[in-house]
Amino acid sequence: MSKRILQHPAVPTDEKTVSWRSDGQLRDTKEFRTWMDREFPRGAAEMENQEEMETSRRTFLKLMGSSTALAGFGMVACRRPEAYIVPYTKAPEWVIPGKATYYASNMPRSGGAVPLVVTTFEGRPTKVGPNRLHPEYEGTDAFTQASVLDMYSTSRSRYVLKGGKKNSLNNFQLVMGALAQDPAAKIGFVFGTDDSPTRKRLAAEVAAKYSSSKLYQYEALASDNATILGEGVKLVPNFENADRIVSLDCDFAGTDQQGSNTTFFNRRKPEGAGYETKPDAGSMNRLYSVESAFTLTGGMADHRLRVAPSMIAAVAAQLAREVGASAGGISPITDSKQLAWIKELAADLKASGSRTAVLAGSRQSAAVKHLALAINLALGNIGEGNGIQAYQTGTSGYGDIAQLTADLNSGAIDTVVFMTPANPVYDAPSDLKFADALAKAKTSVHLSDRTNATAFACSWHVPATHYLESWSDANSARGIYSIVQPMILPLYADCVSDIELLLAFLADDGKVSTGEGDDGAIAPALAAVKETFGGDKSAWKELLKNGYAEGNGFEAASPSLSGNAAADIASAAGSKPTKDNLDVIFSTDSSVYDGRWIDNGWLQESPDPVSKLTWDNAVLIAPKTAKELGVYDIEQTLEPEKTILGVKQPFTDVGPDGEGENRKSPMITITVNGVSQDFPVLVSFGQAENTLVIPLGYGQGFDKDDVLGRDPVGGNFVGLVGVNRGFNAYHLRTSETSYLATGAKVELTGKRYPVALTQEHNAMYGRALAREVSTASVAHKGDFEEQLGMVKKQGNDSHAPTNISLYKQEGSKNWGQAGKDGEAQSLLSDPLHQWGMAIDLSSCMGCNACLVACQSENNIPIVGKEQVAKGREMHWIRMDRYFATQDDNDFDADSPALVPQPVACMQCEAAPCETVCPVNATVHTEDGLNAMAYNRCIGTRYCANNCPYKARRFNFFDYNKRNPLIKNNLNRGPVGKRHDNEPKSLQKNPNVTVRMRGVMEKCTYCVQRIKDSVIRQKRGQKQEVLAAGKLSPDVSVSDKTLRIPVDSVKTACQDACPAEAITFGNLKDGSASEMVRGKELERNYDLLHYIGTAPRTSYLARVKNPNPKMPDAKFVGQATIHMV
Amino acid sequence: MFGIALAFAYYATPKAQVVGYQPTQPIPFSHKIHVDQLGLDCRYCHSFVDVAGHSNVPSGNTCWNCHQHVQKDSPKLEPLHRSMDESYPGYDGKPIEWVRVHKAPDYVYFNHSAHVNRGISCQSCHGDVNKMEVVYQAESHSMGWCLDCHRAPEEHLRPLEEVYNLNYNDDDVKKYTTDSSIKTTKDLGKQLKDTFNVHPKTSCATCHR
Repeated sequence: MSKRILQHPAVPTDEKTVSWRSDGQLRDTKEFRTWMDREFPRGAAEMENQEEMETSRRTFLKLMGSSTALAGFGMVACRRPEAYIVPYTKAPEWVIPGKATYYASNMPRSGGAVPLVVTTFEGRPTKVGPNRLHPEYEGTDAFTQASVLDMYSTSRSRYVLKGGKKNSLNNFQLVMGALAQDPAAKIGFVFGTDDSPTRKRLAAEVAAKYSSSKLYQYEALASDNATILGEGVKLVPNFENADRIVSLDCDFAGTDQQGSNTTFFNRRKPEGAGYETKPDAGSMNRLYSVESAFTLTGGMADHRLRVAPSMIAAVAAQLAREVGASAGGISPITDSKQLAWIKELAADLKASGSRTAVLAGSRQSAAVKHLALAINLALGNIGEGNGIQAYQTGTSGYGDIAQLTADLNSGAIDTVVFMTPANPVYDAPSDLKFADALAKAKTSVHLSDRTNATAFACSWHVPATHYLESWSDANSARGIYSIVQPMILPLYADCVSDIELLLAFLADDGKVSTGEGDDGAIAPALAAVKETFGGDKSAWKELLKNGYAEGNGFEAASPSLSGNAAADIASAAGSKPTKDNLDVIFSTDSSVYDGRWIDNGWLQESPDPVSKLTWDNAVLIAPKTAKELGVYDIEQTLEPEKTILGVKQPFTDVGPDGEGENRKSPMITITVNGVSQDFPVLVSFGQAENTLVIPLGYGQGFDKDDVLGRDPVGGNFVGLVGVNRGFNAYHLRTSETSYLATGAKVELTGKRYPVALTQEHNAMYGRALAREVSTASVAHKGDFEEQLGMVKKQGNDSHAPTNISLYKQEGSKNWGQAGKDGEAQSLLSDPLHQWGMAIDLSSCMGCNACLVACQSENNIPIVGKEQVAKGREMHWIRMDRYFATQDDNDFDADSPALVPQPVACMQCEAAPCETVCPVNATVHTEDGLNAMAYNRCIGTRYCANNCPYKARRFNFFDYNKRNPLIKNNLNRGPVGKRHDNEPKSLQKNPNVTVRMRGVMEKCTYCVQRIKDSVIRQKRGQKQEVLAAGKLSPDVSVSDKTLRIPVDSVKTACQDACPAEAITFGNLKDGSASEMVRGKELERNYDLLHYIGTAPRTSYLARVKNPNPKMPDAKFVGQATIHMV
Repeated sequence: MFGIALAFAYYATPKAQVVGYQPTQPIPFSHKIHVDQLGLDCRYCHSFVDVAGHSNVPSGNTCWNCHQHVQKDSPKLEPLHRSMDESYPGYDGKPIEWVRVHKAPDYVYFNHSAHVNRGISCQSCHGDVNKMEVVYQAESHSMGWCLDCHRAPEEHLRPLEEVYNLNYNDDDVKKYTTDSSIKTTKDLGKQLKDTFNVHPKTSCATCHR
């Protein structure tokens, strides 16, 4: 069915901005038009092949037969089954059945603890959100949001393994008993790079007990700055002070976080956090980014310089030269455009002095880090109150993976205990041959919640507790002591936490005491944490309540340029890559990070923020390079339809669906560091030429269902989610080339690999979808103020008549009309609450935090790769990602702007979906929500067809009940394998309906949270009565009593957002509400305003803050997106 | 034909299906004794009814508070002893499995605290529980029945003080008003609708989400 076509007005002839979401659209292919025209792709609602049709017909007949039989026995089946209410015997403290309990805790992470508030229902943690009390409040990212699912993961490790075979904790206990009594044991302890004070303390005690033992730290993508800054020293940007920020390939907003960046995002709003002041360009920060491939940080940048990865050191050196720091022996930049860019950048930095921050990517070469430090020192910006602060973390004496390998090979240690979240057998640099070294160990113990490659390579594997199940502590990025408290006892009896394992090493008999420990005694891990904390009872209570302890954090440090800087810099002189000598970046993946999240379905299904690829990794390559290498044309065309004797196969033809299931990427063979590996290719915009970007972390295990027929190796390393996903790039990587490798060669293979790419899914038509303005003057558009004034008139909106709300508002002429009974008709309008949302594109970077938070809050199922390819993904929030450039851009025409735009249901007041529903399943509520009554929906999908925002999602299958990851399982109907009996169902939010097959769903503005707070507010009446000391009928209840406090309810997406881009609240609160203040701004606009839907969600135009002197300044800040 | 359809349609309604449902409970607990004779407040056992969506069934220790002293040899309390009394021969510490009488479908989100805190009594939905030897479902709890009250709440509104008074009647009205025209509970309800600022919602998302 084709979508209703609205006659969107043509783009004016003087419009210079060209915008697109996929290369198919840039070339305006027929396939892309099809996506635009339809609400779901052709074929999305059809059976695939004859076999499936047969199956379903048979199933239907079977069902019909059985239901008739049942009916024959009369109506016995109508009587509902007997159900039981099983109360506690002894009611636990704080638990109120049906009500959430919230605990402050922290997620230990490599960069520092993430402060959290965890929602639990009767002891089950279901959702994590950020802790706004914590001094280092930083929102949450997609990984944090998805971490709760890992606890309930079906593939989670449950049993002790010995040599890969199931064994018991008791037998492991014997091993521990022997080790504990041998103080001469040569044990190596390998930790992650997160910072836990208790673990650090116990590790030191263990090292003292076992005099021959050694401590190591290892995570695949963590970097060691000891040689640059000095041991234990780290730099944390003070974004609130940093007026000018330079990112030298540092994705601090995305996967390379340097500490909380909430203040960075707040300074992307010209009106300041909370929209409390007049728009002031001067209050905004300015971000310069030098990078090779788009990162989220690069997308946020005001000025972005696209250079090949081996040239980043040269750019950094040139910048160092211009600001008066030593640049070593790297030859100057000769490209006149780049030179001009760097000169103006240096001038801007010098003018801002200490209020600057130059950040080097943590996986960049030592040379770039040295240069960044030299520049920072020259600018004098390190110190309290300046752009950057240096801290001494006190972490020292830990070896790295190379030392561990050497010690294993030399026999310096013969027992190794892994407590790191990394998977060294899989992800250690290939030149170390780590697996061979590990095999030499007499005993190896692997503590992890995943049975990955290392688990099977070790002699013992012990299942680890999740951070929501164990007592621990963690330092935040700046060293604030933060608590990790358990929400629940470990789900599986054999689970051991890292602290418990260290305590066993310290015990005389090596006894592993887990969970609550022995009867009557305090839990062992809790006792250890309390000892580290050391505070009194009231301080401990405060710690548990707030999640952190008041304190000063780490000591300040003052790093200086180290002695080896000059030598390191000199060795970094790179040369530009060519098509026969390509640069390779081994990038951090936004879905699986270093591979540890490969079994997390939420992350796997969330589209990569830049490439929009789900469930796999692929090599990203610039369009020009793709053309030169001869893969562009293959990538752009779909695989030819299958024919037999020239006749098209009836059911394999699913039509020209662009990115539908026929989208198959060509495979290329990449040879680098003497190793070859096949990868599928995707064309990626804004990337440096002759550069290959390969995300790490995939290809961990395969089984017989693999489409490429790869060797079924490591199928047991991963679960159903992670099996057959993507391609392993770790074995192309050596210690020296852990981030950047040069001299890669590429060959075509002629093979293709299906990719589930969502960039064209739910593509919207319309003028001025995302709007952008510049703080600098733009020809024809005027200065900042004039541009702000024009935001509402961009696109067609200057010609569109004002929308008149059909929806009855208080004070409108429809309000208060007498109804049949003579009383005022107030049914259609709630005088207390009218909900609204504003999304600030100026601080939104397009990460997936909101999308995953929504999935976690609203019981949204994953649908699997094949279903995503068909356009059936269920995410209520769609993160649109547009590219835009100016057609006269002569600075760098191939470096477009990246514009993200989250789109969910707009809660239109005049909602087009409501008028077409034949059964009134989607109707308006009094408080302005576009409600969806699932139990009424009969699945006509008319509403999705009529939604101009394409915000509605349809349950084509029973994804919540039938596991979509098993091949053909969904098509088996009632006989398909169920997965609603797996532990992951325990994560579901009890306040949200779990939807079934055949119903439509969409964003509800988290109606369950709204209702909860409104109902809670109703108790205020009782409080007032009690306070007044009168009888309740004598105390009249005002609207004020019943209206919830201003901005007191947060939607899941808003709560999760690290950029504070989403504001939500009650329109009736007026400008007391941050959301209303946002909506009152000039840069507020409605999406597709001119079609008159009167949406409740509005957007704030993105503001770019370019430096007018920069050579590319006139092309910045005009990325207004038109899709016609 | 039409008659059969009509009869079937009626038979399938909650009214015919669930009203009067009176299962046998593991302990023949009598609300009549506890509420009517002994005068226990509803909230002694259903302690979270005014703070949570669910009205909790009391945990074993609530019963045991009294019954470790009172009627402790009654054979009817055998399941309680098994669950709570560590000195009892058959003690297993497992909770008592009460048979559920009232059940809202999974797609309905009913919240007790929203009702009892705004002047709707237990009685309005659960009937005269204080007179029941064995609890049964007194009302249909169908969607139409919910809507009847949401459209005309004055039929059921009471002063907050009377919500848990299951003997509330017209005689109680004069305690709350000096207005001689207000004689019945319904008259008072009408007045309370305004004083309490009660505007029950009837849109779908009120209960379905």
